Amino acid sequence: MGGSGGGEGIVAFDVTGKFRAAAGALELGELVKDGYFSLFESVGALEIMDPKMDSGCLAPGESLDEDYNVTRVLSPEEVIGIIDQLFCLEMAWYQGYPLSQTLLTNVYIDRMLEPEPMTLQDADFIRERDPKKQTDPMHVVLRAYCLGLVKCCWYINDRIKFEHYYEEEDFVTNTYHRSLLDSFDLDEINDELMAARRLVHSIRHRISDELAQALGFRLELRTAFLRAIELSVLRSNPESLSLPWTQMKAVWESIYQSRVLGQAVPEAFSTKIQRRLASTMPPRPIVKLSTEETYKHFKKLFVDGINVLNVLNYHDSQSLLNFVMTFQSQKPQPLVYIRTLLQSFLFKDMIILGKLSIRHVLDDDLSLVVLPASKLLDPANDLVEAPHHWRYALAHQMELFRQRAAQSYLDIFRAFCQNRCRIRRTLCHSIQDWETVQMDAEQIDQLLQHQIEEQPLVYPPTGDAEGSGGIGPTYSLPLSSWAYLYKLRLMEWIVQLGFELEIYAPDELGGMYWYLSELARSRARLVDRISFFIKHRAAVQQETSPSSAQEVAFAKSKQYLYQTSLDAAITWEMADALSNLYAAMGRLGLVVPPPRPYSTDEMRYDVRMKPFAAIGMPELPSWEVYRAATDRRQVETGRLLEDARLSLEQASRGLEVMERLSEKDSFSVGCFERWVGGVKGQIVAVDRAVGVVEVLKRRLRERGEGKKGGKELGLKVEIGKAVEGGHEWWVVPTVEEVDES
Amino acid sequence: MEQSSRMEQLPRELKYIQYEHRLETQYLPAIRALISKDLSEPYSIYVYRYFLYQWGHLCYLAVDPEDSSLVGVIICKLEAHASHSPPTLRGYIAMLAVSSAYRGHGVATTLVKMAIDSMKSRNADEVVLETEETNVPAMRLYERLGFLRSKKLHRYYLNGNSAYRLVLLLRPVDPDSAADLALDDADIYR
Repeated sequence: MGGSGGGEGIVAFDVTGKFRAAAGALELGELVKDGYFSLFESVGALEIMDPKMDSGCLAPGESLDEDYNVTRVLSPEEVIGIIDQLFCLEMAWYQGYPLSQTLLTNVYIDRMLEPEPMTLQDADFIRERDPKKQTDPMHVVLRAYCLGLVKCCWYINDRIKFEHYYEEEDFVTNTYHRSLLDSFDLDEINDELMAARRLVHSIRHRISDELAQALGFRLELRTAFLRAIELSVLRSNPESLSLPWTQMKAVWESIYQSRVLGQAVPEAFSTKIQRRLASTMPPRPIVKLSTEETYKHFKKLFVDGINVLNVLNYHDSQSLLNFVMTFQSQKPQPLVYIRTLLQSFLFKDMIILGKLSIRHVLDDDLSLVVLPASKLLDPANDLVEAPHHWRYALAHQMELFRQRAAQSYLDIFRAFCQNRCRIRRTLCHSIQDWETVQMDAEQIDQLLQHQIEEQPLVYPPTGDAEGSGGIGPTYSLPLSSWAYLYKLRLMEWIVQLGFELEIYAPDELGGMYWYLSELARSRARLVDRISFFIKHRAAVQQETSPSSAQEVAFAKSKQYLYQTSLDAAITWEMADALSNLYAAMGRLGLVVPPPRPYSTDEMRYDVRMKPFAAIGMPELPSWEVYRAATDRRQVETGRLLEDARLSLEQASRGLEVMERLSEKDSFSVGCFERWVGGVKGQIVAVDRAVGVVEVLKRRLRERGEGKKGGKELGLKVEIGKAVEGGHEWWVVPTVEEVDES
Repeated sequence: MEQSSRMEQLPRELKYIQYEHRLETQYLPAIRALISKDLSEPYSIYVYRYFLYQWGHLCYLAVDPEDSSLVGVIICKLEAHASHSPPTLRGYIAMLAVSSAYRGHGVATTLVKMAIDSMKSRNADEVVLETEETNVPAMRLYERLGFLRSKKLHRYYLNGNSAYRLVLLLRPVDPDSAADLALDDADIYR
């Protein structure tokens, strides 16, 4: 603020008179601003003497600071009550609310941190204690707990800041110039926690075993939390890292049970502390999570903390991707700190999972998807030093490709570590990046095919399928095929996340499922092409008696390509079914588009497909194609429903096969349970859709084609309501038969 | 429901007026009061003046003709949006509020339509806004006019709620500018 009259080198002028004179020349409400004064600045401006904006503005009789006496004697019940309240605030902070409205509203923590303590002894809410007097045991316990808590917060804040997250959206790292015991050693704080636990034990007869235990549990949790954080940087064996998490999970139950012993001390929390924080924000209310919510969220935090460690057991690149995707699709999504852990496990110091090079994972993936047992990935290439040797050229070109693709590849993992909304938004950008990766890869493919003297093949072999028929033999183009496969998957995920995030209006669902089906079919066609070339190469290599490692690589790749084409087939069948179902519902007046006087169908298509408009391959279908395909005007309504039924039957068969795949064959090693859960959710969605189609067919039969709308058809329809047990990516309407009376 | 039956007894046609600077003393306090009611965080007067001084012509008031009291208000801006090449002229609906006793009678819809018409006459390419995910009536209102949800914004509001970005395209997209269309300021500034 402007109170600094005497700062060095600063000469203060009184401009009040000039300012008043200048302001007097303006009309009330006239705005004088330069081009740099943005909406952001105007939002940041405050009005003096408005109690909601001016942090110094007091109501009549209100005191500036809270007048809570931190030196007062506390009962064990009160300490439990305060700690339990701190749990609620801590969780609110983890969820994304600022410290100013959560932990920094606690008077004990505030006094401990301000003024900033220079010694551990000073890190206390009572400064300059009388050394002759013995410290009240309950003060010792509360102080130790707060030390542990604040140190925990420092670590968590620090770790989150280090990874990719969105400030104020995922998390608020602002500490308002308060130091969260930054400079104190973890060991010192652990000692205080241990001493407090011993103290509690020694006075258990005085305060009752029950209370002593309850206090002990809370201190134990804090010790374990610090231990868990400390261990997480090791990225070693998950079993050893999970010990403190398991301990927390167990002791958390006891803490919850013993909450009834606590006695709340609401006076120890005040929004007035915010006035002393380095912020222009006026005091805002304390974020109050209920004890039950807090319990649930902490429980989930500990379970996620244990589960996330399993990512460290690397098996193959696709299982790794499935781990991240299934872990992140949990509802509710893991907290940002857990997502930070996941990111640091994956990427810290550019060493994947603490032990693998980026090249290792990338080459694993290339081998699995397009290049099993290929000389392009042969590490022996790197050993050749003669620049004219073909192996030298291969190593060089492959390295160029890795440098080009590695970041884009890792970005997929990074994107899936974000919140759900951000994943979709990030992927919308990524597909443009992958478009260029694909183009660059194609150039490298052409250089490589020349180096290895690849023989082109006629694909498709029968020559009757669309596309290259008649063009003549083509090359396998492994690297650009790999890039194209990822681009297609990203595009599918964007559409699917749109369903999950409820982006689409009810009358858009049919069209978006049609587009999803198109993308899945493109993926299946691509996988078919990749498989064709690999099969050919495997056959050639078979003649020269391949090593067992090569055979394993071919088999793994074959399984991956089988699994992904099965997944693509399930996707297009389900998408076709829902597209037909929604088209039929539109005709039957069960999905009624709003009037939309300011918009045309075509312009809305432009808005909706914006993320895909710049993609050259697959090219976005024109509006006319899209409309014709989603209306299917030439097809009778009964036929649409029958087509939907047939597609669902196919999807159901595919899902049955999928459900029986092993952990390895489904490429979900380390996340099999969650992966199977996803398949089961899809099965539920298919079953529900079958039910809806049946009802509609019956009504149509009974009441004839001319009937329209829920009333005439005797149906109650709800669209977009999330139904338990299904799958977020498959929006199945609920249709209820109602008897008209 | 209760409100609408009460409204049926109100015979008066509301008067809709375009905001002008000379109306500040008469209406700004009422505008602020009406909008603040639905906000946990009040906007400072500078926010209102930022919009009203520059785009008063995109602000409309619904007033009771009997006592000239304020019933509803819409506040907007219209600017070149630089992250697109070529830049698009983007309208933005910043605030919309209708006094609770008058809700359910299309007052808000009328105000939005007036604002869109005005932006359209000034060659706007598109109109955008954000709305809280829990605000079903607002989303319904905009979606009925032709807006689409283009993206969801995680924890967009201070209360922790997420938002949807709603978009209404007023002119067809120039195919040559498509390359940058996935970007917009929510991606760049947040």
